[in-house]
Amino acid sequence: MGDSTGDTGSSMHGVSTEKTGKYDLPVDLEDRATVFKLFSFAKPHMRTFHLSWISFSTCFVSTFAAAPLVPIIRENLNLTKQDVGNAGVASVSGSIFSRLVMGAVCDLLGPRYGCAFLVMLSAPTVFSMSFVSGAAGFITVRFMIGFCLATFVSCQYWMSTMFTSKIIGLVNGTAAGWGNMGGGITQLLMPVVYEIIRRCGATAFTAWRIAFFVPGWLHIIMGILVLTLGQDLPGGNRKAVEKKGKVVQDKLGKIMWCAVSNYRTWIFVLLYGYSMGVELSTDNVIAEYFFDRFHLKLHTAGIIAASFGMANFFARPAGGYASDIAAKYFGMRGRLWALWIIQTAGGLFCVWLGLANTLVTAIVAMVLFSLGAQAACGATFAIVPFVSRRALGIISGLTGAGGNFGSGLTQLIFFSTSQFTTEQGLTWMGVMIVACTLPVMLIHFPQWGSMFRPPSTDPVKGTAEYYYVSEWNEEEKQKNMHQGSVAFAINAKSEDGRNAPSTIAV
Amino acid sequence: SRISMAIHKSLFASLLICLLFQISHGATKERLFSDLEKGALEVTAKPSRESVLDAGIDKLSITWKLSSTATKEAEFTTIKVKLCYAPVSQVDRPWRKTENELFKDKSCPHKIITRAYDKSPQSFEYTLERDIPTGTYFVRAYAVDAKDHEVAFGQSTDEAKSTNLFSVQAISGRHKSLDIASVCFSVFSVLALLVFFVNEKRKAKIEQSK
Repeated sequence: MGDSTGDTGSSMHGVSTEKTGKYDLPVDLEDRATVFKLFSFAKPHMRTFHLSWISFSTCFVSTFAAAPLVPIIRENLNLTKQDVGNAGVASVSGSIFSRLVMGAVCDLLGPRYGCAFLVMLSAPTVFSMSFVSGAAGFITVRFMIGFCLATFVSCQYWMSTMFTSKIIGLVNGTAAGWGNMGGGITQLLMPVVYEIIRRCGATAFTAWRIAFFVPGWLHIIMGILVLTLGQDLPGGNRKAVEKKGKVVQDKLGKIMWCAVSNYRTWIFVLLYGYSMGVELSTDNVIAEYFFDRFHLKLHTAGIIAASFGMANFFARPAGGYASDIAAKYFGMRGRLWALWIIQTAGGLFCVWLGLANTLVTAIVAMVLFSLGAQAACGATFAIVPFVSRRALGIISGLTGAGGNFGSGLTQLIFFSTSQFTTEQGLTWMGVMIVACTLPVMLIHFPQWGSMFRPPSTDPVKGTAEYYYVSEWNEEEKQKNMHQGSVAFAINAKSEDGRNAPSTIAV
Repeated sequence: SRISMAIHKSLFASLLICLLFQISHGATKERLFSDLEKGALEVTAKPSRESVLDAGIDKLSITWKLSSTATKEAEFTTIKVKLCYAPVSQVDRPWRKTENELFKDKSCPHKIITRAYDKSPQSFEYTLERDIPTGTYFVRAYAVDAKDHEVAFGQSTDEAKSTNLFSVQAISGRHKSLDIASVCFSVFSVLALLVFFVNEKRKAKIEQSK
């Protein structure tokens, strides 16, 4: 078992030095799995998948652990509505920065250490809830815990070393969706843990602090599991892996320019802020909302709130799948329409949720809202890979950051002031979702068209190849750096719709 | 598609059920606070000391008796005494809002004592519970009839809720043992990580030097 460092700073922990052995799954030339076997734990591919999504989910559990307990915490710490709202904003703001840094950390240390470092170093932030005695402490601790949501990046990065690019969309979508489920699990877990601790004799204002030890321990357990059971690379002959040598390094400045100068990037940043963003905001406010508005017990409110986040289990993959079906018949235009319809529907259900006066109506509206918002997340990342081939990583990162930014902004405007009641806030949030989804109509691909305009008929500029290769200048093309984009453009013919020669999904 | 048909059907059914609920719920008339007889009981609440009271430690001496102006005395079966928030503790805290509809009102969430109605003056020595939040309070006693509906009330403060208020300081909820456990687990987490990391780097160096 070699343990020196492999390519890109990743450790060779767990990698066999023998010749390419038999894997449980069929693999490609880089030993990345070509199929996705959900219920297997075989090393290295599926084991990595499960370690990865469970650690990401654990971070969601701890980031939103305070939300269902707010009715108790607000009395213990004498919080005002503004304090509760500001803490919610803080909980999603930290990861805007940590997600950007995590990319570099994965490059330097590898995704296994990236994940383990973040998860184990953020455990102390979770435990420090024991010390909080006022609004300032509460907001600070929620901010610090929120940093660990950067495990999203290590999760997706790790998947791309283990699974081939043809299925990486489904794998990443499932991993992200199941990770986001943690936001729902926590709404169920924390009130139950709190109740058990109370029954054991602790007073309310101590019991919630003890309850935070549970997500803290989960961090430690997952960190250790990742360190002992995880591996950065699938394996195979170490010499073969090393022989490949370093990939031609692209310049960070160029990639950034590629990402930032493409107007579609910014539209997706906005859009994701109103699909993922509103999902995060709702994770923070929904349990308290049901507790206060409908006079429910804490764990009843928790169960209802949990079903919002848990819908991620199938809703996010379903959104990606719906996008794929739309693409099969209508190409990229179908994907854009699918995204607009799903996200707008989610917004309308959110408006309905705010207007619902009875418990049953509210629950129905909430479930439909969750399906809309989460499927929209899946549908968004079904299109993002096509915005740019060269700058995919950065655009994905920016889009992800947009989600958190949208969440912080929405919580700040609608849920942190006495100007709106929570139900008014939900209604206005729904209106904002519908409004901020309209820009999807502006996304136009010359080679595939947009929602209302057909593709360009220009024989040169209207091709996928022109679109992707134009990200490189002449000098770079001389060095053949653009070959990946050429191959990508050929594969992307599937987005032409029914006239596509093959249905190769990227 | 059979599954999606089933989902459609169940969604439609649940929508129908909601509509029915809404229709039936809107039919009953809500009981209002403004309908209750004011000042039917004379209530006093004397704190055990003059400064801010500590939850879990300090006491209130509460007394209540029938007021001479009361008219609905025949209906009184039970007296429910509650701790209520003064307006200053309701600012920026919509979960403590005063509402006229009795079932919606959240300004008196803390139960002190419930006793069967007795014509003679009553008293009770109340030790502030450990889950009382920091705030300013007064005491209100509701007179409840046999159907468990409130009919009258009396409170230890005036109608504007500005006199005879007392302040409570909540317990912190923190414990030294909790703080210590927290530090121990945090240190363990960081150390475990460092030990793994250093160990692995060391093994890698040994491998490379072979």
